[in-house]
Amino acid sequence: MVKGEFDELLRDALHNEVKDAAGSLQGLEARIASELEGRLPRLRPSDRFRQLLAPTRAGRIGQLAVIGATAAAFLFLGVFIAHRTSLLPGPERLSPSLSASANREVLFVVPALDAKQVAVVGDFNGWEATPLSDDNHDGIWTANIPLSPGRYEYAFIIDGRWWGQDPLADEYVSSFGQYSSVRYVGGGGDGA
Amino acid sequence: MIYVGSETARAKPCILVTEEANGSVYRGQDEVSLLRASLNGETEAWGEIVARYKDAVFGLCLGFLRNRADAEDVTHDAFIRAYDNLRRYRLEKRFSTWIFTIAANLCRNRLRYRRNHPVVESPPNLAGGSDPAVIVEREDRWQRIREGLSRLPYSYRAPLVLRFYNDLSYREIGEILSIPEGTVKTRIHRGKAMLKREVEREVIDHG
Repeated sequence: MVKGEFDELLRDALHNEVKDAAGSLQGLEARIASELEGRLPRLRPSDRFRQLLAPTRAGRIGQLAVIGATAAAFLFLGVFIAHRTSLLPGPERLSPSLSASANREVLFVVPALDAKQVAVVGDFNGWEATPLSDDNHDGIWTANIPLSPGRYEYAFIIDGRWWGQDPLADEYVSSFGQYSSVRYVGGGGDGA
Repeated sequence: MIYVGSETARAKPCILVTEEANGSVYRGQDEVSLLRASLNGETEAWGEIVARYKDAVFGLCLGFLRNRADAEDVTHDAFIRAYDNLRRYRLEKRFSTWIFTIAANLCRNRLRYRRNHPVVESPPNLAGGSDPAVIVEREDRWQRIREGLSRLPYSYRAPLVLRFYNDLSYREIGEILSIPEGTVKTRIHRGKAMLKREVEREVIDHG
C-alpha cells in the first residue's frame, strides 16, 4: 500500500459508513426544535462566582479584597444616593438605585469603578442596552429613563457581563438560572 | 471572554420571522446570528444549527462508539446539552470545536456506561449489504478498516476519527480530547499503525 493510500482508505471508510447510516438523522433538527420549544438556554450562576473559589490562599485573599472594595463602593453609593434623593419632594423619595421624580424620570445608578461600559437592560427597553454614563469619572454610572407607573424587571450589563442583583432593588427574580432586579414605580410614589 | 449574546443576553430576537413560516428564514443566516437567536429561545434557529452540524456530530459519535443506536442517542443528547449550556459557549472558540467537545464527552460517558452495562453489540457491518456476491473489493477493505477500528482502544480510535472523519487539526483534536497536541500526533501515528496491522492480520486470517 503506497504512502497516503491508507489515509484515503480510512477517510472513505468512515465517510461511507456515516453516509449509509445517516438516514436516521432525517428530521432530527425538527424533532430537537420541537422538543426544546418554550425552553431557554440556562445560565449557571456558579460560573460568575467560580473566581471567588480561587484554589490558592493568595487567590482567596485577593478575592476577599475585591469583595471588601465592592462593599465599600456600595456604602459610598448609599451615601451618594441618600444625598441625591434628599433633594426630591418627600413622597417621591425612593431607594437609591432607582428613583422616580415627579415627571417619572427614573434614575438608574450602579457603582462600577473600573468599568469601561455600563448599560441597563430591562422590560421597559425591550432588553436592549441603554447606556449609563460616568461623566465625572468617579465610578458611579447613572442614567435617567422616563417610566410610567408599574413593575419593571431590569439588570445592568457591566463590560458585557450580566449583573442582575442590584442590592437596592425591591426584589429579585431568578429565571433560567440568572437573576434580575425588580423595581416598582408607583402612581403616587414608588412602591418600595 | 466573550460569550455569545453576552451584551444582550436577554435581548429580543435579532432575527424576526416575518416572511416565511416554514423556518427557512434561518437558512443562509450566519452562525453567530443563529446562536444569538437560539439564546432567545428561537428553537427553529437552533434547528438550523442542528441541520448544519448533525452529520459531523453523528459521524464523530458513530466513529467513537461503533454502535449506530448509541450514536443516534448521543447525537440527539449532544444538541440538547449544547442548547441548555449555550450561554457558556465562548465566541473565541469555534462552535464546531465546542459541540464536538460536548459530543466526545457524552461518548466517553456512554462507553463507560456500556462497560458496566454491556449489551449485545450490533453487527460489525454497520452499513449493511453483506452479501459477498455484491461486495466489491473496495467496500470489503472499508469494512475491514471499520472492524479494525472497533477493536482499537478508545484512546487511539477517537483521535483517528476526529482526524479522518471530522478533518480537524491536531490542535483542535487536543482541545476536544483534553490532551496535548504532541500526544495527539503520537496517538494518530500509532493508531494508524495498529489499524494497519489489524487489517492486514485479518486479510491473512481470512486467506
